[in-house]
Amino acid sequence: MRRIFWIKTIFLLFLFAIAIRLFYWQILQAQFLQSQAENQHFTNTKVEATRGNILFSDGSILVSSSPIFSLYGLPKTMDPGQKVKIAYSLSKVLTGDTNDVDVIAKNLIDKLSQDLYWVQLKKNVTTSQKKQIEELDLQGLGFQQDSSRFFPEGSSSAHLLGFLGSDAKGSSKGYFGLEGYYDGELKGISGLIKHEIDALGFPILIGNFFTQEARNGKDLILNIDRSVQFIIEKSLRAGMEKYGAKAASAVVMDPRTGGILALASFPNYDPAKYFDFPKQYYKNSVVADQYEPGSTFKVLVMASALNEDLVKPDTYCDICSGPISLGGFTIRTWDNKYRPDSTMKDVIVHSDNTGMVFTARKLGLEKFYSYIQNFGFGEPTGVDLQDESSPEIRSKSSWKEIDLATASFGQGIAVTPIQMVRAVAAIANGGNLMEPHVVKEIKDEKSSFVVKPKVIRQVIKESAAQVVKEMMVAAVEEGEAKVFSPKGFRIAGKTGTAQIPVAGHYDSTKTIASFVGFAPADNPKFVMLVRYDEPSSSIFGSETAAPTFFNIAKQLFLYYKIAPTE
Amino acid sequence: MTIIKKFEPIDSKKGFSKKYLSLVVACLFMLMLVEIWVSNNVVTYGEKFEKLSTISKTLSLENQILENEIAKFKSLNNIASKSAELGFLEPQSIQYIR
Repeated sequence: MRRIFWIKTIFLLFLFAIAIRLFYWQILQAQFLQSQAENQHFTNTKVEATRGNILFSDGSILVSSSPIFSLYGLPKTMDPGQKVKIAYSLSKVLTGDTNDVDVIAKNLIDKLSQDLYWVQLKKNVTTSQKKQIEELDLQGLGFQQDSSRFFPEGSSSAHLLGFLGSDAKGSSKGYFGLEGYYDGELKGISGLIKHEIDALGFPILIGNFFTQEARNGKDLILNIDRSVQFIIEKSLRAGMEKYGAKAASAVVMDPRTGGILALASFPNYDPAKYFDFPKQYYKNSVVADQYEPGSTFKVLVMASALNEDLVKPDTYCDICSGPISLGGFTIRTWDNKYRPDSTMKDVIVHSDNTGMVFTARKLGLEKFYSYIQNFGFGEPTGVDLQDESSPEIRSKSSWKEIDLATASFGQGIAVTPIQMVRAVAAIANGGNLMEPHVVKEIKDEKSSFVVKPKVIRQVIKESAAQVVKEMMVAAVEEGEAKVFSPKGFRIAGKTGTAQIPVAGHYDSTKTIASFVGFAPADNPKFVMLVRYDEPSSSIFGSETAAPTFFNIAKQLFLYYKIAPTE
Repeated sequence: MTIIKKFEPIDSKKGFSKKYLSLVVACLFMLMLVEIWVSNNVVTYGEKFEKLSTISKTLSLENQILENEIAKFKSLNNIASKSAELGFLEPQSIQYIR
């Protein structure tokens, strides 16, 4: 009986121990074991979303994605005697330059000699390099696929596009320009495929299969016309060299829709190798640079006065016979020549500062200030580029008579090129201030969103716009830049030469030379602003920016098949 | 008087039940065999499926590379340099025909 009792007890203890063990595995460790089993039975594949393409208005590629690879090595699976041979074989493929073969090979040998299971050997391996390495049939190497941005036009439109970098977590993120502004639309959402696998790692087709589809990024179709973009980049680069300017920028806009047809600024950078360039190059000067517009601003002030019926084209200026003294300052004309009894048309044609003081006085501070705001200065234009800035206009109460006088000819007031071109577009299209847009359409596999032209407000009456337009045509045909203008075409435009404020005063040798205008004047196809920073061959807009404007205009007339009218 | 009705099992019903029962069992057995056969066959398709997936990925990749190559050849910078190499010049004077 005693034996039976002990046997029973031992069995019971075993039973209890088994129960405890089962409780441990099935209750306490259940989740851990379940996940381990899932890891063995299932494989998770992350499907990266492809970043959307950026396309010109005709659908051709401006930016797309391109596969790129990271080469890695598995040092512990390699034959130690073969590592040097492998390193030299790789080095020959990875460097086209034979001088670097030894340097790269030594670097690879160092990496492969580490006591590691996995080591990254080279990033950004191209598809052709990958193919060459695979053909070598080397042991212990592998590739990880990644994606990079591909720019078929090279550094063209760099400021417009921005670039794709990484955020603090190492994830891809767009910066500046379109890549920054539309990062959310372009990047897409990555997906996941989870399926059961067999012992060899192949999928079991009748097993469980879960999928969360990746949503690729949306494509952006731009208003940018690649021919217009090519023309302005080529002409601007040549102009910058010819006139010895520190920087240059140009923007072309469709005045009827506000669509940006082309945009360029120099110096620029290569968006594929943005990290090799100084950070100050990243800024798009067309939307981020503040400058004093100089005489190009006169057409807006004149338009305001005409719209209020305070002046007419034949109104005489009764203060244009000499310099004007105001608040301890003397206001002169740019050439120090004075034309008594100039009409308002003459004031624009000869870019007469004293005549503009006359106009501004007629307008008064209240209306002047209100028109500046209505023309869109002091607020962002809403252009779909990440780096837009907007200089503030000083509060009305701080303005003195001298401020009103100098602002009438575009000094003492800061604008951005995009604000300026938009304001002049309002004259070109009959008085409507448009919202500028680079993107025309946002498209994915299933849907598309068309960006419609948006009128912000009517700033001036159509009749006033018509009168200013004729003044601008006269400025081109009779003004200082008339020798450069193409014959037979009616172009409306205005030169601008603004001195640059340096440490509280204006430096007369450093200027921003610009020209703003539109053509053909009677049915404008484009409005364009050309700007040079500190040109050294001549400080005047009429001798630098104006010739470039007309050179571009001539090419655009051919491109748009516009024949001369005279 | 109490009438006691004796319920006898119906022979025909008995036969019907057995027949269908054996049919169901046979069907189940057949299904089991089919499943084993299908499983055995489908298992080998996993490898084929994997190969096809790899080919599909490679082809998409090649497609993307070729699209980019086309874009590169079509780029205006490339066309401008090629046309300059071939001796093409920009028009110097334009004649408009009215």
